[in-house]
Amino acid sequence: MSERRPYVRRQSRLWWASRTYRGYTLRELSGVGVAVYGAVLLAGLDSVRRGPDAYAAFVGWLSTPVAIVLHLVLLAAMLLHGLTWFQTLPKTMPRLIVGGQAVPQKTITNAAIGLAMLCSLALVIGALS
Amino acid sequence: MDHFDTDILILGAGGAGLRAAIAAAEAAPDQRVALVSKVYPMRSHTVAAEGGSAGVVQAHDTLDDHFNDTVSGGDWLCEQDVVEYFVSHCTREMIQLEHWGCPWSRKPDGHVNVRAFGGMKIERTWFAADRSGFHILHTLFQTSTKYKSIERFDEYFCVDLLVENGRAQGAVLLCLATGEFCAITARAVVLATGGAGRVFRQNTNGGIVTGDGMALAFRHGVPLRDMEFVQYHPTCMPGSGVLFTEGCRGEGAFLLNKDGYRYLQDYGLGPAEPQPRNKYMELGPRDRLSQAFWQEERKGRTVTTPQGEAAVLLDLRHLGRKRIEERLPLICELARHFMGIDPVDTPIPVRPAVHYTMGGILVGIDTASPLPGLYAAGECSSIGIHGANRLGSNSLAELSVFGRVAGEQAAAFAKGAAAAEIPALLDRARAAEARALGLLNGKGGGERHSVLRKEMADSLEKGCGIYRLGDEMQQACDRLADLRHRYDGITIDDKSRAWNTDWISALELGYQLDVAQAMAHSAIARKESRGAHQRLDGYTQRDDANYLRHSLAHYRKGASPEISYSPVTITRSPPGQRAYGALGEQLEHARKEATHG
Amino acid sequence: MADRDRLTIELWILRYRPAQDEEPHFVSYTVTYTEEMSVLEALQSIKDEQDGSLSFRWSCRMAICGSCGMMIDGTPKLACSTFLRDLAPGPVKIAPLENFPIERDLVVTVADFVKKIESIYPFIMPKETKPVEAGEYLQTPAQMAAYEPFSDCINCMLCYAACPQFGANPDFIGPGAMALLQRYNGDSRDAGSRERLDLIHGEDGVWSCTAVGLCSEACPKLVDPANAVNQNKTNSAFDFFLRGLRKENHS
Ligand SMILES: Cc1cc2nc3c(=O)[nH]c(=O)nc-3n(C[C@H](O)[C@H](O)[C@H](O)COP(=O)(O)OP(=O)(O)OC[C@H]3O[C@@H](n4cnc5c(N)ncnc54)[C@H](O)[C@@H]3O)c2cc1C
Ligand code: SF4
Ligand code: FES
Repeated sequence: MSERRPYVRRQSRLWWASRTYRGYTLRELSGVGVAVYGAVLLAGLDSVRRGPDAYAAFVGWLSTPVAIVLHLVLLAAMLLHGLTWFQTLPKTMPRLIVGGQAVPQKTITNAAIGLAMLCSLALVIGALS
Repeated sequence: MDHFDTDILILGAGGAGLRAAIAAAEAAPDQRVALVSKVYPMRSHTVAAEGGSAGVVQAHDTLDDHFNDTVSGGDWLCEQDVVEYFVSHCTREMIQLEHWGCPWSRKPDGHVNVRAFGGMKIERTWFAADRSGFHILHTLFQTSTKYKSIERFDEYFCVDLLVENGRAQGAVLLCLATGEFCAITARAVVLATGGAGRVFRQNTNGGIVTGDGMALAFRHGVPLRDMEFVQYHPTCMPGSGVLFTEGCRGEGAFLLNKDGYRYLQDYGLGPAEPQPRNKYMELGPRDRLSQAFWQEERKGRTVTTPQGEAAVLLDLRHLGRKRIEERLPLICELARHFMGIDPVDTPIPVRPAVHYTMGGILVGIDTASPLPGLYAAGECSSIGIHGANRLGSNSLAELSVFGRVAGEQAAAFAKGAAAAEIPALLDRARAAEARALGLLNGKGGGERHSVLRKEMADSLEKGCGIYRLGDEMQQACDRLADLRHRYDGITIDDKSRAWNTDWISALELGYQLDVAQAMAHSAIARKESRGAHQRLDGYTQRDDANYLRHSLAHYRKGASPEISYSPVTITRSPPGQRAYGALGEQLEHARKEATHG
Repeated sequence: MADRDRLTIELWILRYRPAQDEEPHFVSYTVTYTEEMSVLEALQSIKDEQDGSLSFRWSCRMAICGSCGMMIDGTPKLACSTFLRDLAPGPVKIAPLENFPIERDLVVTVADFVKKIESIYPFIMPKETKPVEAGEYLQTPAQMAAYEPFSDCINCMLCYAACPQFGANPDFIGPGAMALLQRYNGDSRDAGSRERLDLIHGEDGVWSCTAVGLCSEACPKLVDPANAVNQNKTNSAFDFFLRGLRKENHS
């Protein structure tokens, strides 16, 4: 029998709470925020289906302080999630080669964010007019 | 003790060992190959080679030119038949590497690109940015995994060769993870264990480059040839010795002294032109450049680094950021990270450090050593292409060309050889195990091996440096004899078995001392100046009448090595004056006229 | 200057010697250091002058052989290219690479990682075989740029130490091996993508990855292994989908 006895360190169950992974954990949590907002929208749609009274109640709830605070939190989550999503985007695609050189990932992220902002703006303008 | 039987045993999995393993597997798919390395193959020191590998490709280049550059670069101490074989097989091997995936840098049309290198008349250095050795090694390692007949022993340290009936038949290995021994018996053995640069203080080599294979063969009676020729690389990081590739100068870098003056023009390498021509100035050979540094230092024209080392300046600034970052990314990383200097706007302080052992295990053109069944390839061997001074980029080419030959020759030998004589070999293996354990468990006199190692490195640096003096070499010899003696009384702190690097370093030191002795004794015996061996004590000239001969160091147990000489094979290039710069061109012109007229 | 030359720093090193230790524990050493001294040099000086029994891997000293990865103040780093001046005043915590079994002291088990590398067919499977005599395959700089960064991986395993999913599932193929896979899949000379893709569909393939992304931040060679993994999630998903379609066509 040899002396060899590799020691296996157990991964902490709370690894996600450590400082190293804070960014990642926040990103994943913000995903929950996105899901919650989806649920809010769905509830709104459902109220439309259930008739004008239900819809009015829903709109009424929207202007309660609780709903406003919730929406602010959800907005922050959406923004964070969107940002990280665009940061991840270049990691999920093949290297983009233009003129024999790879396009930097930052450029791709920035272009995508720009495009998303343009689309959002167009939507807002469309909704207002 | 565990025992494995195989057909072909390859010790060392750097460039040479991997190439040999692949060649053996391809030549004889029915034979088993055992590939042993004290580190994972991709950690082998081939990984550190930066500049590139030679192979004639350009239309205006010829094999003759490569031959002449190599032979004159080696100051005519080359085996010319071997050089001829070598130059005619380099390109083939480079293409083979390309087929296996090596990401050689390309020209816009998709063909492989080549760069200039010191001492080479025409650009013929294939390069993969400045990570050429890295890419060659990883390509070979990854390709080797394709062959089912290759069985690897990663992180196994060889403590002895098994020789029985005058034939090499295996090796004894120490498994680093367990500290247990095993014997491998084989019909043929290839040594590909790399160089020995760590015997010097400032060197470009990795910690594993300790001359193990050289010492193993040496102890079994195989002579070490031309060991006095140790190459200093002119551009290394002061202090650590980490290398700045010759590729820098290939790309057009200047070497400046403290006055910003391109001092090489004072040493027969001029004229100084804005774009150094091949074989001129910064593109002269390494020995000349290192010697010029030594002279500049004596004249007080060097700068002093914060660590107190003398240095000259490697100036890349005029190449511009784009070219520097594209062609020399590793150099940028080293300068920025390790020295806090950006080569784009500041010259890098550099100085010579020991880089390469031209000498090694004596082998013939077929890589066979005088000991039947034992082959050697790569830096551990002396096949005779480097002579008294190796040209940059000839070594990576050597690994490929002669790694392949070694694999094929060993496979052929194994086919015809009788089976290994296992019982007798296992007895020898047990004796070797007992010796290694004796070193571990011996009480000793309390002295640590790290102290001895430092003294060894200091004495070689002093006695066998860029310029050498008889009495200093003698001091080195005496000092080494004393260290050899003290080595028998060292004490190892750590008595455990698993991953005991204290023990491994002590074993390596034993190898290093043998190699160091071969170097120092070969050096003092050569009473002339040639290539990397330059004396200042009355033997400042080359002496072809007496020393156009290879030195051979023979091992003597408990005593210093004995030196003898053997003839040099000269086929078509009679010894001429070795010159670079304008004089070199004149001479070459005259030689051509003479042969044509 | 003279004062600066005599700075000292304390290193807390996680030690584990299987012959005598039940489990790893920190031991403190103090070293004198200079401006340009790396963590590796500090470890060497401890080994040479204080305690010969301290074990760690190293060789090249120039960040290319991939031997000397370890956790330095909690981050995976190459010891040879991490400098004490950046860690001062200390104490500096040094531990073996996270997520790997410890063989001894700072030495971790590498064999499983190497097996992963070997498993992904890490060699060119040529589109068309041609003899060496026919010369090199042509490859333009643009074709090279498509895979070249992935070929710069030095197998240092820092990315594995940064990856919590590898920590949770040691069989996950992981970032470094995926970078190598993509190095070959992206090479214009290669035609082995299909075979390689077949290896990485499951949970031990790319699907353990949750795009944490720290592997790419840990990488000392800018290989961007996260890109290799995530690209291949896309490829794997497409492949799965296309395979379904193909099956339907057959029936
Ligand atoms: C910094 C640097 C840059 C260089 N640049 C260039 C260049 O640009 N062009 C060029 O042509 N040349 C260059 N060289 C030289 C060239 O890289 C080397 O000569 C060559 O790589 C040596 O290869 P090798 O296969 O003989 O040995 P190595 O690659 O050193 O491999 C030796 C192998 O032997 C194994 N080994 C050793 N001892 C034992 C033992 N006791 N037990 C088990 N295994 C053992 C090791 O583990 C390793 O696998 C450079 C060298 C250095 C140091
Ligand atoms: S991808 Fe980067 S961090 Fe991971 S093994 Fe390769 S070089 Fe190391
Ligand atoms: S010692 Fe080679 S990477 Fe650090």
